[in-house]
Amino acid sequence: MTEPGDSVPTARAYATPMSRAAAPQPANLADILERVLDKGIIIAGDIQVNLLEIELLTIRIRLLVASVDKAQEMGIDWWRNDPMLSTKSKQLADENRELRSRIEELESGDSSSSSGSGSSRSRSTRKQADG
Amino acid sequence: MAETGCYLYAVTRAGTTSPEGTGLRGAPLVAVEDRGLTAVVSEVDLTEFGEDGLRRHMEDLAWLEEVARAHDDVVRRLAAVGAVAPLRLATICLDEDAVRARLGEWHAELDAALQRVEGRAEWSVKLYVDRADAAEQAKERVSREPGAGAAYLRRKQTESQRRQEANQQAADAAEDLHSVAVHHAVASRRLQPQDPRLTGDTGTMLLNGAYLVPVGDDTFAQAVEAFTTAHPDLRVVVQGPWPPYSFASLEPQ
Repeated sequence: MTEPGDSVPTARAYATPMSRAAAPQPANLADILERVLDKGIIIAGDIQVNLLEIELLTIRIRLLVASVDKAQEMGIDWWRNDPMLSTKSKQLADENRELRSRIEELESGDSSSSSGSGSSRSRSTRKQADG
Repeated sequence: MAETGCYLYAVTRAGTTSPEGTGLRGAPLVAVEDRGLTAVVSEVDLTEFGEDGLRRHMEDLAWLEEVARAHDDVVRRLAAVGAVAPLRLATICLDEDAVRARLGEWHAELDAALQRVEGRAEWSVKLYVDRADAAEQAKERVSREPGAGAAYLRRKQTESQRRQEANQQAADAAEDLHSVAVHHAVASRRLQPQDPRLTGDTGTMLLNGAYLVPVGDDTFAQAVEAFTTAHPDLRVVVQGPWPPYSFASLEPQ
């Protein structure tokens, strides 16, 4: 793609997706944003937004582009209270806890199979591998 | 009349490109040259792209998407005909003289960046693992018989072990795939796995790799394809060529 003579085949190649999994489609927003916002040449222009606010904006977009785990790793969790971004995970966790204690409650009145609930408590030590 | 500025899309080698067509908001693309380098710019209204406008608009995902796609579109058109060093979104100077000054100031670094990506393109390789099976298992019938609670918990435990094993296997596969791709690439970068809320893909992304590959070199594509064929249970998505966004950066000389 350096020589003018190479330009025609390169131009054609740009329209060729190579994937067995998906039909050709325009690049998804996450692919584009992670590149145009996070990569490429960074030169300060004449127009600059307040740095503090840029940082906030970047964090907000990072949350959309990058993983939530990463943000938590960085100690950022204000998004939990952002109605646009917050998930129901907290709510689900609470509900799970409630259900589990309810099951245990029921189990305690059912002596025939108490061994099962005892070992299940060790589940909390398993590695959290789910994304 | 509203104030205007120069929006910079990318830097290319002077003479290899004569930007055609339009950029943001239909404004014609203009080449601004300085000592062998060309910045491709277009005029933008500073009501929209000034400091106040940007601060307001950048929080609006729909606006951001429109501008990001327009930016990417121009960069792609330039990449199709020559080496290109894309600039980060919303790099704006007040006039062409200011653009020329930036080219002069960063001449050596820009030249080096163009050298690194010349004749090369970026390919994206992603590996997903689908959770459909797990979700299906989780939707089990609720029984009210005595002992159903314990059986339920036991099942959940087995499921969780199975899931953990499957996760480990998938993570290993992601490492293997990355190694294969790296072996056939000039440079590589692992990007953050993307959030499903933005991709709309329900699978979990385990690898989001960017690889710089010589244009016309098929060995990269063949190696990734061979891996994919050998692992029919995995979902590998290869996209490209991209302009070399992930590899065009200014590094200290």
